[in-house]
Amino acid sequence: MKKTVQIPLGSQHISLLEPIRFKFECENEKIIGVDADVGFVHRGVELACTRKFEFKQVGYVVARVCGLCAITHSLSYTLAVEKLLGYEANDRIKYLRMLMVELDRIHSHMLCLAHTAENAGFEALFMQIMAQREPVMDIQEAISGNRVQFDYISIGGVNRDLTPDLSALIHKNLAALSEKVDALMMLFDTNWSLSLKYKGIGVLSLENAYTYNALGPLARAAGLASDVRSESSDLPYEAVGYTMVLESSGDIHARNFVRLREIVNSIAMCRNIVDNLPVGEIQEKVKGKPKGEAVVRVEAPRGELFYLVRGSGQNILERVRIKTPTFSGIPAMMEVFKGSQYADAPAILASFDPCMSCTAK
Amino acid sequence: MFKSMLEAFLNLFKPLHTGGYPAKEIVLPDGYRGLIEYDGEACIYCDKCEKVCPPGAILFYQQENGEKKYRYNPWLCIYCGECVRACPKPQEALWQSETKQQPALKEEGVNEQWFVWEAACQNSREAYTTAKKAAKTGTNEK
Repeated sequence: MKKTVQIPLGSQHISLLEPIRFKFECENEKIIGVDADVGFVHRGVELACTRKFEFKQVGYVVARVCGLCAITHSLSYTLAVEKLLGYEANDRIKYLRMLMVELDRIHSHMLCLAHTAENAGFEALFMQIMAQREPVMDIQEAISGNRVQFDYISIGGVNRDLTPDLSALIHKNLAALSEKVDALMMLFDTNWSLSLKYKGIGVLSLENAYTYNALGPLARAAGLASDVRSESSDLPYEAVGYTMVLESSGDIHARNFVRLREIVNSIAMCRNIVDNLPVGEIQEKVKGKPKGEAVVRVEAPRGELFYLVRGSGQNILERVRIKTPTFSGIPAMMEVFKGSQYADAPAILASFDPCMSCTAK
Repeated sequence: MFKSMLEAFLNLFKPLHTGGYPAKEIVLPDGYRGLIEYDGEACIYCDKCEKVCPPGAILFYQQENGEKKYRYNPWLCIYCGECVRACPKPQEALWQSETKQQPALKEEGVNEQWFVWEAACQNSREAYTTAKKAAKTGTNEK
């Protein structure tokens, strides 16, 4: 007689609003085998980029791949095309782009923390963090003119400049947020009922993180020092005070703490950028058409985002390949589930911060 | 834990984060990216806005006498502002306002009407170019 029972999580599940399915092989309450399936939605973004839209318009198309990290997608694409066109942006443009990416990281990490709290059964904390996230969205709306789809980065620069009013708003909102993040760190560290749900649960060892190629906060929580911000020289992260955040235990608690400490680091970086913004033009004319092949890696909130762009000197590109962090992280995620209790699965899943709209593109 | 319980209790007496929506209107920030507005008198009909628009929300209808008519679909527009940056006379002929577009109703049939208009624009251009070619060959024969 078969001793195990199969329980699916998704493709429609109350703790998971997005189309991914994990099929768990359970022995009583314990998960011993995992199978993942992500192929439920296909939007054909990559093909649309190489058929319907010209290369100057594609930046706005790829931004629609994901609502949370829209700015990272348009930044990666723009960097790739600028490489092909042989153009390097001036420091002001680079700093403004970094500012938006870091603000995006703050609000994305806060969303993940909120969801982890919700899936651990702490609804009030979910509401609280979502409310505290709102001022960051306000900053982004004031800078770019829209709350979610920023359309801020275009080939050859950025679309809007930072005014003194905006700098004041950024300082005001970030100062308020900074205090709240300190309180949150205290809460996540000392709250007893949260520690039952987080500490020692969903552990990814350093060895497994290395073997299964974990990336983003998932890897850094296990102690694997992998961050594109320190590896790539496309954006001057070292100059604005970037520090690698590493934890060692690899459980949900460590992942939450990587996110919280990265928020603190990002706030510091945003303040540095606003205070020390170099002078220069925000939009420069870029001539020519993309010819050749370029690869760009950018650290999205969830890990490494990879773009390959190939052009043949035409207005329409030959190939746009997008490899998103969630998709690359699925093998490591499957490994984490093995050996844990089924009841913990929603909280573990939320702690990965899976972004299915990125994966199903 | 007792601290967070106290916090949760005190939250009952704090003001709402969500505000009074929908009774109170949402305050849009300065520089909100709203509808694209157009002035036909200042326009020089270079068609640059039509070419750069990512979703194709701006179209020009070619009339037989050579004039063009501007048509804009605010529901298709993504408010990126590319057209305004491409415009040779920004702020005079084409500019981005801070008005927010209201959602369309099904009865208004905005999609259906726009498909008809898209086809009409395409046909008008083809008809115009063929008419022009015919006129040219006609004069050459004379």
